[in-house]
Amino acid sequence: MRTPRLTLALAAVGISALALTGCTTGADTGDAAAPTGNPVPGGTLTYASGDAEPTCLDPHVGGNYPQALVATQYLESLVSLDGTGAPIPWLATSWTEADDSLSWQFTLRDDVVFSDGTPFNAAAVKANIEHVQDPATASSTGYLAVGKVTSVEEISDTVVQLNLSSPDSALLESLTQPWVAIQSPTALARTSDENCESPVGTGPFVVSAWDRQNSITLTRNEHYNSPPADAEGDGPYLDEIVWRFVPDAATRYAALASGEVDIIDNAQPDAIVAAESNDAINELEAPRPGASNRIELNSGKAPFDDERVREAFIRSAGVDDGITSLFFGTAERSYSALSSREATAVSDPDLFTFDPEEANTLLDAAGWTTRDADGYRTKDGERLTLEFPVSTNQSVPAEQSLFEQIQATTKEVGFDVVLEPLDLSSWYTVLGANEYNLVSAPYTKVGPDVLRILYDSAGLVPAPSGYFANHSQVSIPELDELLTRASEITDTAERTQLYADAQKIILDGYYILPLFDQQNHYLYSSEVEGMRAMPTVSTPTFAEAWLDR
Amino acid sequence: MTLVAVQRSPARRGGSAARWLLARLAGLVGVLWAAATVTFIAVRLIPGDPAEAILGGPGSQASDEALAAAREQYGLDQPIVVQYFAQLARYAMLDFGQSYSLKDSVAAVIGEQLGGTLLLAVLSLALAGLLALGVAVFSTRSGRVAAAVGSGLEVVAVALPHFWLATSLVLLFSTTLGWFPPISTRGPEGLVLPVLTLAIPLAGFLGQVMRESLLDALSSPFVLSARLRGETASGVIWRHALRHAALPAIGLSGWAFGTLVSGAVVVETVFARPGLGRTLLSAVQLRDVPLVTGIVLVVALAYSVLTTATDVFDRIADPRLRQAAIA
Repeated sequence: MRTPRLTLALAAVGISALALTGCTTGADTGDAAAPTGNPVPGGTLTYASGDAEPTCLDPHVGGNYPQALVATQYLESLVSLDGTGAPIPWLATSWTEADDSLSWQFTLRDDVVFSDGTPFNAAAVKANIEHVQDPATASSTGYLAVGKVTSVEEISDTVVQLNLSSPDSALLESLTQPWVAIQSPTALARTSDENCESPVGTGPFVVSAWDRQNSITLTRNEHYNSPPADAEGDGPYLDEIVWRFVPDAATRYAALASGEVDIIDNAQPDAIVAAESNDAINELEAPRPGASNRIELNSGKAPFDDERVREAFIRSAGVDDGITSLFFGTAERSYSALSSREATAVSDPDLFTFDPEEANTLLDAAGWTTRDADGYRTKDGERLTLEFPVSTNQSVPAEQSLFEQIQATTKEVGFDVVLEPLDLSSWYTVLGANEYNLVSAPYTKVGPDVLRILYDSAGLVPAPSGYFANHSQVSIPELDELLTRASEITDTAERTQLYADAQKIILDGYYILPLFDQQNHYLYSSEVEGMRAMPTVSTPTFAEAWLDR
Repeated sequence: MTLVAVQRSPARRGGSAARWLLARLAGLVGVLWAAATVTFIAVRLIPGDPAEAILGGPGSQASDEALAAAREQYGLDQPIVVQYFAQLARYAMLDFGQSYSLKDSVAAVIGEQLGGTLLLAVLSLALAGLLALGVAVFSTRSGRVAAAVGSGLEVVAVALPHFWLATSLVLLFSTTLGWFPPISTRGPEGLVLPVLTLAIPLAGFLGQVMRESLLDALSSPFVLSARLRGETASGVIWRHALRHAALPAIGLSGWAFGTLVSGAVVVETVFARPGLGRTLLSAVQLRDVPLVTGIVLVVALAYSVLTTATDVFDRIADPRLRQAAIA
C-alpha cells in the first residue's frame, strides 16, 4: 500500500524543513494576545489547521479534537472554567448538587436563542443529552462524559435536572467539553447527515458553508449574547472565519509567514523557533488538559509484568537531552501522569532520574543476566524485546525522533525496542490485540477523572471494537477504590488528596514514563488581537478576536 | 504496451484493426476487474474494522448494537465471497456505493474531486513534455558539454522525490522569494508549485527517452538524405527527426499519467490542494472501502483508456504499426 511510504515521506519532509529552518533563533517570544487599542469590527480571518478534516461537524458524533477546535467557534456549553480550573457560568447561570449527590439542577439563561431561532431552554438541554446518549448518534467522547446521567428532567423552562446513577464529581468538568456542547433541538431532529453538515448552536459564529477537503466558512452570529462569564469585550467582531485544512507542517508555516493565513495550529518546534525571530508572528501555547504525553508500559504481560524491568526501562531511557535537542526548548519535561493544566497534578522528578547503572542492577536481579551477540539482554534464550507501535497520526516527527533516542539509550543496558510506525487504524488494532509493550497514546479530557479512564481496572474491559483505554494494564484494587471515591466526592480538598494518592501508586509502580504536556502550540499573525485559548480543552476562541490591519 | 510486428496481411487489415480494438476493450475490462479485486482484498488485509470506519473512525468506542447495525446496513455481516460478488455486481451496474466516512455517494465525491487532479495531471504532463523537449533538443544540438549537462539534469530530475521537491519549492518560492502561495487553491497562481513538483521528475524521464530517440533519428538514413537536400540543422531537427523522436514519449504518456496520479497524493497533501490523491489518502487511513475502491477504479480506467488511446495514436502516426497486430 502507499500509505506507509507517504507517512515516511511526510515525516522526512518535517525533518528536512527542520534542518532548513532550525538555524534561525531569536529572543523575541510572543505572548498571548493582549488587546491593544479599540477592537475594529469586520474582516475575514483565515485559520489553517493541521488536524484531519472532521467527517462530521457535530462533535456529539464520534468526538475528537479536530471537531472540538472548529466547534468552539459555533457551539457553547452549559459550564466553562476559569484560569484556576474552577467552574464558571456559561449557558447555565448557576447549579446545585442534591444532598444525596444523585442529581444536579442547572438554572439556565432565559434570553438565549439558537442561530436557527429555536429558544434555548430546559427542553433543549434534555434533547442534547439524549442525543449524545442515543446509540444511533455513535458518540464516544461525549458518551463517556455523560456516562453517569440516567435521565434528564425539565423542572421548568429554565431549570433542568440531571439524574445520576452514582455521584459524579467530574460532571461540571465533563460538561465544559465541546463534545457535549448544546445544539438546537430543531437542528438535531434533522437527519444525522444534515446535522453533520451544518450543526446549529448559540456560539459567536455560524457554519455557513463546508467545501469538503478545502474549507469551512463561519460567519458572524449577529444575535450573539451568551459569552462565558470570563469573556472580555463585546464580540464577535470578525465578519467571517475561513477554516482551512493544511496537513503539511512546513506549508502551514510558509502560509502564515507569507500572510496567506492568519493563524496555524499544530505548530512544530522548528516553526516555533523560526517565529521567535519574526516580529509579525506571535505564539500561543495552550497545553491540552487531561493526561500528559507519556509512554505507557504494558504491565499485563512479560517482561513488564516485573516491576524491576519497568523501573530499569525508565531509568535507562535518556529523555531530557532528547527533548531539549529535538524540541528546541519548546517542550518542558513532565514528571506527572496529568497535564500541568490540571491543578491536581502530582509531579515526582526523583522517580525518573537517568541511571543506567541502577537499570543494569535491576535487570540482573530480574534474571536478564546474559547478552546475545548484538548486546541485547536475554533470559532462557529469549531476547529482552519491547514492541513499540507508534501512531504516525498522533506522534509528530520530533516525538518519533525522541522515541528513537529512547531506543538508543535503553539499548545500552540491553533493551531491544522495536519501533513500529503505523497509521491510526492499524495502531488501534495492534493495541486491541495486546501486541505491544510500550505505547504513547494521548488522552484529552477536562479534569483529573481522566485517571479513572486510563488506570482503573475497568479500563481493561475492551469496547466491542477491541479498544481499551488502560494501556498500562494497571489492575490494583486499592487504586480502583481511590479513583472511584475521588470520582464521587465533590469536596475539593478531599478530592485532591484522593487523586494525589492515586497518582502516587501509578508513578511509584513505574507504569508510565511521562514526557511532556500534550503539545498545543498556535502561531498567529500579530494583526490578530483578542484571541485566547479556552481554559477548558485549550481550543482557541475567536469570539473576541479582531484584526488590526 | 508491447507491440510486436508480425507478417503483414493487407487483405484482412480492416478486420484485424477491429479485432485489435476489441481485444483492447476486453483487456480494459480485465484491468478494471483486477483493480477492483486487488483493492477488495488489500483493504481487508490491512488491520482495521470497516464497521468502525462507518461509526466515526478508528478508536471509536461504538456500542455492540451500533456496530451490528452498521454491519447489517452495509452488508458487512455477509460471507466475504458474497460481499465480493455483490460488490462486482454493483460495479457492473455503475453503482459505486456510499462512502463510509463522507456519508455521500462515491460517484459524487469522485466527480467533485476529479477535475482538480485532472487539471494538475494534464498541466504537469504538458509542462514535462515541453521541458523534456527543450533539454533534448538543446543537449543534442550544442555539443558534448551540453549533452553531459542535459543528461546530468535529467538523471537528477528523475531521482527527485516529490515530497522533497515540494517542500524545497515552498521554501524557495513561498517562504524566501514570496512569488507563489504555498497553499494551492483554485486560482492559477496556486497551480505553479504543484505543477512544477510533478513535472520536473517526469520531464527528466521523458527527456532521457526523447534524447535517445532523437539521437537515433539523427543518425538515420532519412536524416542524411534531408541534409543532402540542403535542409538546415534546425530544419532537420524540427521538421524530420523530432516527429520520429516524439513517438516513444507519446507512447509513454499513459504510463506518465499513472505516475502523476500517485504523485498527486503527495502534492495535494503538501500544497493542501483538494483532489483525488488527498481523498484517496484519507480514505485509506479511515478504511473507507467503497471510496478507496472507487478511486482506484477511476484511476485504472483513466490509465487504460489513455494507454489504448496512445496505442491508437501510434498506429495512426506510424504506418508500420498499422499492419501489425498485438501479440
